[in-house]
Amino acid sequence: MKKFLLTVALLLFVMIVFAAEKYVWFDEKTPYLGADAKGKYGGRLVVGTLSGPRTMNYVVAKETSSTDVIALFMGYGGTLVELDNYARLYPCMAKRCEVELTDEGKMIVTFWLREGIKWSDGKPFTADDFVFTVNDVYSNPAIPSSTQDVIKDSKGRLPKAEKVNNYTVRVIYEEPFRLAVRYIGGLYIWPKHIAEEWVKNGTFTQKWTVEAINNKELVGLGPFIPVEYVPDQYIRAVRNPNFWKKDANGNQLPYLDEYVIKIIPDQNAQKLAFEKGEIDLWGVPAQFYPEIKAKAKEKNWVVGTGGPTYGTTFITFNWNHDDPVKRSWFRNEFFRKAVAYAMDKDAMIDTLLAGLGVAQWGPVSVLSPFYNDDALRKYPYDLEYARVMLQMGGFSWDKDGNLIDAKGNKVEFVLSTNAGNRIREGMCNIIRDELAKLGIKVTFVPQDFNLLVNKMLNTTDWEAIVIGLTGSDEPQGGRNVWALKGTLHFWNFHPEAAPGKQIKPEIYEAPDWEIEIDKIFAENIKVLDQKKVYQMFSRYQELVSEHLPLIYTVQQLYLYAHKADLNIIEPTAFGGMLWTLPWIYWKK
Amino acid sequence: MLKYIARRLVIAIPELIIISFLVFMIMEAAPGDFLDQYKLDPSMSKETLEAMKKELGLDQHPMVRYLKWLSGAVRGKFGYSFYYRRPVSTLIWERVAATLSLSLVSLAGSWILGIALGTFSALKKYSLADKILTVFAFSFIAIPSFFLGLLFLYFAARTGWFPIGGMISIDYNNMTAWQKFKDLLWHMTLPATALTLGSMASLMRYMRGSLLDVLNEDYVTFARAKGMPERIVVYKHAMRNAINPMITFLGFSISGILGGSLFIENIFAWPGMGRLIYQALIQKDLYLVITSGLISAVLLVVGNLVADILLALVDPRVRLT
Repeated sequence: MKKFLLTVALLLFVMIVFAAEKYVWFDEKTPYLGADAKGKYGGRLVVGTLSGPRTMNYVVAKETSSTDVIALFMGYGGTLVELDNYARLYPCMAKRCEVELTDEGKMIVTFWLREGIKWSDGKPFTADDFVFTVNDVYSNPAIPSSTQDVIKDSKGRLPKAEKVNNYTVRVIYEEPFRLAVRYIGGLYIWPKHIAEEWVKNGTFTQKWTVEAINNKELVGLGPFIPVEYVPDQYIRAVRNPNFWKKDANGNQLPYLDEYVIKIIPDQNAQKLAFEKGEIDLWGVPAQFYPEIKAKAKEKNWVVGTGGPTYGTTFITFNWNHDDPVKRSWFRNEFFRKAVAYAMDKDAMIDTLLAGLGVAQWGPVSVLSPFYNDDALRKYPYDLEYARVMLQMGGFSWDKDGNLIDAKGNKVEFVLSTNAGNRIREGMCNIIRDELAKLGIKVTFVPQDFNLLVNKMLNTTDWEAIVIGLTGSDEPQGGRNVWALKGTLHFWNFHPEAAPGKQIKPEIYEAPDWEIEIDKIFAENIKVLDQKKVYQMFSRYQELVSEHLPLIYTVQQLYLYAHKADLNIIEPTAFGGMLWTLPWIYWKK
Repeated sequence: MLKYIARRLVIAIPELIIISFLVFMIMEAAPGDFLDQYKLDPSMSKETLEAMKKELGLDQHPMVRYLKWLSGAVRGKFGYSFYYRRPVSTLIWERVAATLSLSLVSLAGSWILGIALGTFSALKKYSLADKILTVFAFSFIAIPSFFLGLLFLYFAARTGWFPIGGMISIDYNNMTAWQKFKDLLWHMTLPATALTLGSMASLMRYMRGSLLDVLNEDYVTFARAKGMPERIVVYKHAMRNAINPMITFLGFSISGILGGSLFIENIFAWPGMGRLIYQALIQKDLYLVITSGLISAVLLVVGNLVADILLALVDPRVRLT
């Protein structure tokens, strides 16, 4: 007996010492989103959109006009994990999730699926569907997708899914991958019983076009199934009879009978449609907000703001310009700091965003859990400071007040943005006027979007550009921008990675801080400790705001309006008004 | 006559090929391609972009792509839309009915009203009615159609009498045939009126000018001097000649019926060709653009042919050989 106990103790000791690290991400005790809802059945919700869907195939879909409709039958509860309106992770079709680091350095994510969930066509949802989705769809080299890029580890390797039993799956990564639970758990799942054949005969990307809606081919795990599409008119979706979520009283969700997306391609017409009650909610453009807000009480609307949106808008300079003189200005940090100090962000917010915006100082969105205000260096509008910066950078002024560099060259450059974007054009005008006060001659030339993007990415023939990038709550989403060899590292392309191979290696320089940012983007993804990741991204925000490769401008607030008798909960820029779609209901 | 039509149609074939080639070359020469819109998306990797390029055939030589498209087009296959990943022909077909219904109603409306009012105006030259009609015509020529469309929308929003855009109601498919017809008509009223007013106004002015020119001709004076009744002078002799330039104009109007109502379609959310083509142009959805260019060219050829035939029917001096 003694011997046995000793063996057991020894075994336990060995297990404790050598056992892999294990993290429980969430377990059965955490309720899913909507578990506490108490609503009423019935009714139809009508929303507006500027353009109709292009496809119902998520792998092919590239724009929100398509993905917003796809989400109805693949998202909103149709995934293993989901995020709330602040991007916090919750269990969904997986009731438990564990992450394990093995001795060989691999990472295994295990999901325990809820039992009894059915597809909208009545077939049971099991581990097979999930394994098929990971291995045969998103990890399939024959089916390229942006999802594939997102789920790769730092060395570009794709994960492998394994079925443990009908309701347990494991996903194996070759190295720790911080975003695995969120990205793998958030994958839109494909019905194996339908899509397996498409993978086999190579027709996957041609399936589920918009015609699939009227042919009633769509099968999903989400709350609604689109059943009718009249091109450029509307999409009508009805309740999924097999949606798995139940509310606090055990009633099956969703509450609404129908969800209709009306296609109204003109913003003025959308405004009128909302005012007339033809659509029930509306993401309000800034120019209409004061008027809508003023009418809110009389018309019985709820009108509000939900924090800054995720995108970024900035001015950037071409560090690899063919002209060595211009190159030297743009690479001069003091020059960029002077531009930052000369940027009148208040004027931008007041005149371009009707006062409904915030100044942006760094690359991480204010709504992101990684945003660190203390790490950011800020440059309040001050032309005196700007002048000091220019002097520190070796610039001076001639007798006519023109700014000249140390060699006596007059400082002047061409500023571009995409023509037709009213806000960006306005920003360019403000920047040009302010820089004129510093003796810098800026010629503003708006250009066609395609032309501009091609110049910026494939040639060295550009000087300064005001442009924007989409953002997210997760800074790692910007790795193509910030990695030294990133495909969007446009201000200072690496000669080997520049899309047009246009950068001469002899003029290329990467400062230390760029190398440090590159390292942060390569390393953070392998770190599972959120605190450490927070520190790494704080350092990144500090470096970017200190050295200003991109000089950020301002960001509009998320603006919304909806009928007051519609039960909508705390809209944010991340979740929008519809993050609670399965349990939205009409109060009357 | 039939021989003439056949010959014209045969000549049209090389014309159409040249036009489609020119459209293709212009699209190629313009900077950028369909993939540009994804190039600034941080989540899109180089590999994905390359794969998409290959999949869409954008890595092939432009000539190869054009010839492939042409050989398909001859067999009635106009290629795939990059954006919708559906055959171009189904995309266009879906929208043809919507555009045709709106265009034909407004074409008929503007021609009937334009010619009638133009004639009336010319016959009552410098009267109060003529002056009112002139002011009316110039106002609608001056107001851009999209602005007129917006005004109508505000009118709809204020009164609640008409829907804010769209072609059918959400419950359309549950309606009876009569309800469907009424629903369509109800949706069509404002966009059709907006479209009609603009072109009617200019047609009215053309007709007025043309008829006045003819009425000053010697043969009209001669006919009147002979004592011919005014009704016959005007409607039998003068009108016939006044209508000639209008018929040529009609030929061009026919070529515009599929794409001519872009702004109105956009404002009223009318699901027509104009919007499809506009989006395709902006996104450089190549095959959709060339195919719609080809359709416009076909309509131009057909429109001109129709105009020539009509001219021959109306004007005995014209002989088709």
